[in-house]
Amino acid sequence: MTESQFIQAVGLSSVLPGSDALQLAMYIGYAAGGIPGGLVALLGSILPPTLIILGVTMILHRLRRESWVGNFVEGLAPAISVLMLFTAWKIFEKGGETSWMGWTIGIVSMAAMWLKAPERIVVIIAGIIGIIFLSS
Amino acid sequence: MKQSNFSVWLRLLWMFLKVNLLSPSGPASVGLLYKEAVGSVMSEERFVEAVGFSNVLPGSEALKLAMFVGYAAGGVPGVFTALLGAVLPPTVMMFAVAAILQQFQQEDWLQGFVKGMSPAIAALIIMVAWELFHVGQTKKIDRRTLFIAALSAVALWFEIPSPLVLLGAGVLGVFLFR
Repeated sequence: MTESQFIQAVGLSSVLPGSDALQLAMYIGYAAGGIPGGLVALLGSILPPTLIILGVTMILHRLRRESWVGNFVEGLAPAISVLMLFTAWKIFEKGGETSWMGWTIGIVSMAAMWLKAPERIVVIIAGIIGIIFLSS
Repeated sequence: MKQSNFSVWLRLLWMFLKVNLLSPSGPASVGLLYKEAVGSVMSEERFVEAVGFSNVLPGSEALKLAMFVGYAAGGVPGVFTALLGAVLPPTVMMFAVAAILQQFQQEDWLQGFVKGMSPAIAALIIMVAWELFHVGQTKKIDRRTLFIAALSAVALWFEIPSPLVLLGAGVLGVFLFR
């Protein structure tokens, strides 16, 4: 594929909902070999992690009784929450709406979820608000 | 929590269809997935484990998370059900879009949707991050937890790759929480 096609593919997969990596793989496969190409690329990107995960879960299952695994997870938790804060900021930035409108949506959503509003409904409503007010 | 029956698989499939339709990228799906999975099909500790390992291991993050959650809920068949739910929405969408690419790119509404959705997803992730923060057995924040969090924040700020940071935090946990 050409470079401009590639850039287009990256742009598309970051806009569409769902996993970036997968969509990128499929798009490249599609550009190279049509629908069969897309499916082959999909298979190629699913297979390696599947095998690795199956292996790891098996091992983990054996190790669960060892106390150090629990401690490892306990150490993992704070690091993951910090990582998620960074991710949240990146997603906010990448969304492209960092003006007062974006902040308002973010803060109102947080308040709504704090009050136990169902998360997916909040996300969908935020998206609809985006369609109405943020479509250029 | 291992019941290998049909209803569990259906639930997994539906869960991942939902989560993957509503998140623009792998890392973004963690927040929604937490809300959907923790308490219903897996414990909080198991979830932390899943997020940690999907970050450290190579390959697409969303997929690995799906597989871990699937395994916790329904064993090996659960893995494949969750995988199907995670793969289907992007696949269908990608092929549909590839077919009508030119027209679609000029559509602004999809961009508006993502723009509006992003702050809400970021907010969701922050809330989940807060809940994860006191995940330990004791459910309270002590000095060791804060220490690991502060250290991770500094490391991530200096753009040290996240798998390394998580690995380090885990190893630190092994020593600190002994």
